Amino acid sequence: MAVRIEKSFRVPEPIEKVWALLKDPRAVANFVPGAKITEALDDRNFKGAISVKVGPAVTDFKGELHVERVDEQNHEVQLDGKGQDIRGKSSASMKLIGKLNARDDGTEVKTVSEVNVVGILAQFGGRMIYDVSDVMFREFVKRFQERLQHIETEAEPGPSEPVNAAKVVSSALSRSVRRVFGGSDDSGEGF
Amino acid sequence: MIQQTSPEIGGMGHSVKRKEDRRFLLGKGNYVDDIHLPHMVYGQLVRSPFAHALIKSVNTEAAMRVPGVLAVITGEDLAKAGLAWMPTLFFDKQMVLATGKVLFQSQEVAFVVAETRFAAADAAELVEVDYEELPVLVDPHHALDADAPILRPDREEKSNHIFHWEVGDRAATAKAFEKAPVRTEVTAVFQRCHPAPLETCGCVADFNTATERLTVWLTSQAPHAHRTLFALVGGIPENNIRVISPDIGGGFGNKVPIYPGYVCAVVASLKLGRPVKWVETRSENLQSTGFARDYHMRAEIASESDGTVKALRVQTLADHGAFNAAAQPTKFPAGLFSICTGSYKFPNAFCEVDGVYTNKAPGGIAYRCSFRVTEASYLIERAMDVLAYQLNTDPAELRLKNFIRPDEFPYETPLGWSYDSGNYAAAMNKALEIAGYRELRKEQEEKRRRGELMGIGLSSFTEVVGAGPAHTFDIAGLKMFDSCEIRIHPTGKAIARLGTKSQGQGHETTFPQIIAQELGIPVSDITLEEGDTDTAPYGLGTYASRSTPVAGGATSVASRKIREKARKIAAHLLEVSEEDLEWEPGKFFVKGAPSKAKTIQEIAFAAYTNIPPGMEAGLEAVDYYDPPNLTFPFGTYICVVDIDKGTGEIKVRRFIAVDDCGNIINPMIVEGQIHGGLAEGLGIAFMQLISYDESGNVQGGNFMDYLLPTAVETPYWETDKTCTPSPHHPIGAKGVGESPNVGSPAAFVNAVVDALSHLGVRHIDMPIASWKVWQILKEKGVAA
Repeated sequence: MAVRIEKSFRVPEPIEKVWALLKDPRAVANFVPGAKITEALDDRNFKGAISVKVGPAVTDFKGELHVERVDEQNHEVQLDGKGQDIRGKSSASMKLIGKLNARDDGTEVKTVSEVNVVGILAQFGGRMIYDVSDVMFREFVKRFQERLQHIETEAEPGPSEPVNAAKVVSSALSRSVRRVFGGSDDSGEGF
Repeated sequence: MIQQTSPEIGGMGHSVKRKEDRRFLLGKGNYVDDIHLPHMVYGQLVRSPFAHALIKSVNTEAAMRVPGVLAVITGEDLAKAGLAWMPTLFFDKQMVLATGKVLFQSQEVAFVVAETRFAAADAAELVEVDYEELPVLVDPHHALDADAPILRPDREEKSNHIFHWEVGDRAATAKAFEKAPVRTEVTAVFQRCHPAPLETCGCVADFNTATERLTVWLTSQAPHAHRTLFALVGGIPENNIRVISPDIGGGFGNKVPIYPGYVCAVVASLKLGRPVKWVETRSENLQSTGFARDYHMRAEIASESDGTVKALRVQTLADHGAFNAAAQPTKFPAGLFSICTGSYKFPNAFCEVDGVYTNKAPGGIAYRCSFRVTEASYLIERAMDVLAYQLNTDPAELRLKNFIRPDEFPYETPLGWSYDSGNYAAAMNKALEIAGYRELRKEQEEKRRRGELMGIGLSSFTEVVGAGPAHTFDIAGLKMFDSCEIRIHPTGKAIARLGTKSQGQGHETTFPQIIAQELGIPVSDITLEEGDTDTAPYGLGTYASRSTPVAGGATSVASRKIREKARKIAAHLLEVSEEDLEWEPGKFFVKGAPSKAKTIQEIAFAAYTNIPPGMEAGLEAVDYYDPPNLTFPFGTYICVVDIDKGTGEIKVRRFIAVDDCGNIINPMIVEGQIHGGLAEGLGIAFMQLISYDESGNVQGGNFMDYLLPTAVETPYWETDKTCTPSPHHPIGAKGVGESPNVGSPAAFVNAVVDALSHLGVRHIDMPIASWKVWQILKEKGVAA
């Protein structure tokens, strides 16, 4: 199940400030709900874990994150990750490209992720993967923006909050359900 | 002609209400999952999440620590007992529990046994399997590529090729094509679909350590054959195995193979000395048990300019998944696919099929179908329409021109079948008349002028059922006869036991109706039992519409044996010679003196109380019936669709089904069978596909993705019939269960293609969802 997800958002901050955050894989990983870096192998290679719950399936992935490219000039970063569910139920790989563009009112963050999921999770098909990634992305954006504000007010980063995976899922599920049975798609929270 | 019996007797032709329905309607059915035995424990399979991967290790420690868990069986454990692999029904072998590697998503890897279902399910989650993913082969068209991964290194042939099979005259067919002024072709995929019976597969295996007897309650369409296979593979003496097939909630071919879960439950019961229940979930059923079809076909027709067909050439690639677990007669690797010349007089034909392995669930079972007849019928009925478009002629006229005529039966087809009887034009003309075909065509023309989309689809199929004659047909060596044993009690009531097994077909009603017809015993006085191998005579079971053609023959012949003995007893009681007696259903009477008579009930009583000197007591008979030929039911289906040109949404406005299954035992049950099969055909044509993504992940493995038609989608079925009896069958019956599933997909698809034919559309692969039609309409500039 290979999916390509393109997302973008804007932040009212200068590009260099946003870039400093985006090129730090540890920071980026912490913005992904349920994810954490567990070990740094070197500057460009990390070990990490991510927990995702889709419906009845809780999946704890362990894997590696590799910084493939940091293009200072174009403000572009590429992260490659791959991992396997610790119970051997699924595996996933991901290529994430993040690119910044300076705008009049701040910075546009464009992300393109190509995710390939194999195993039980993939049986849910595109609808669940897109929905789960939607919810995760919004959480990511929220954390990203919060962190940018923190940089202004605090020297040290705040603790990374553990994700409520169940909430992520219930939210994604309810979006799917509403799409099928009518109702608006833009209220983000769960039932 | 079948003599009409009174409604009280309820012989053939009476719409006797189904005797089994009372218990089903009251919730008193007894299915495998209703079996509860003292000290029973529960099994749960651990399944592979990957389509192709090496198994590096299996760690069962965490699972074993779950309270209530009694055992975790792995492939390596089974290998020690020589049971890691089992033979399939078609010269291949299949892993029971994987060793070394897995070959499809949801493949069986380990079996957890626990005191409760919940503990077993929880523990199965904790079995840790370390996989190393391998390249996956999904597309059968790439199975034979030089760089394709070899899926089955266990085989001698280091290739994904399973078999090549051909029939017919290749050279003569090629020559006919060279000479023919008109040539047409169609490439069509009959997609992988699944019978999805409402009851999934399962069993309760109970090995009694004191008696050393194994009793298995099994969702089995063929309990006797399964008993023999358990004995041959498991090494348990056959007299110590009892297979009981209780009520079955739909089979449709899905319950013909032996599945790994059954074997694991038996092994676990042997190991633990306790009854072990294993019942699959819906997703397990859809993802791992026998799928159907997955035939990638190409048909070419050569014809004269006036539409007279001269030759048919068919090439097919068959995707069998990871193991060749097709349930087919031994001499027929592609089943009865060579019925593909259909209802038409092809002087020349050639057909070849190649089977390949892919990383998908194994199977290739006959889903309400006599072994690939559905694929064949779909292909020829599609190809005839494509030819009609090419010749710019009416598809009904083209068919009528090429039908085998009634006086040409028995008809020898160029691919080796001998059709028993038929009157194809009669069925088609009746269907055309009911439909008001000419008016429909006129309406279509007018609608086209207004830019509206309406289509009329025809399918005039010929079926082949009732496998089969012993000289040609066997499954795993077992000849495909079937059997019936009838015992008449002293009070004139009866019990009959058969080698078949009803899964919803109404056997408890229809077989007693045959006996009622032959002996005049009221249908309500006859009990029917099937499915218990300790009591029923040996038979090959129920699938491929074979129960009536084969076991129905046995029932009729066994009844007639009883009638011959009854004649002797009646002669004794009436003190006349046998030749002086005449029979009418229910009694023998003296010729010319109808009042001097003995009823079958009086005769039965005498068989136990007043036995003629020198005669054995009792009144019973058994017959093992070997049919002289197959039977060839047929019919014409007409489907009318309206398509929304803005959305591509298809509405089946009308569906006319004229079936000819020879003499009918119970018209109501026949109609019910046709309704059910048409609904399944609708699902196949418009809704159903077990697909796999490029990594081998199942994309149709639950009822969210694999859709069943409900009352909302199902149109009103207009059914009717013609009657052309089988000349070789004792009661002239042909079998009907699968006709609607075999004949209808082509009618649905032909209707949709017909609605779009003026746009140049010649074929759309099933399932035809609205989005596919919408895409075409958009391409053609019709939809916005």
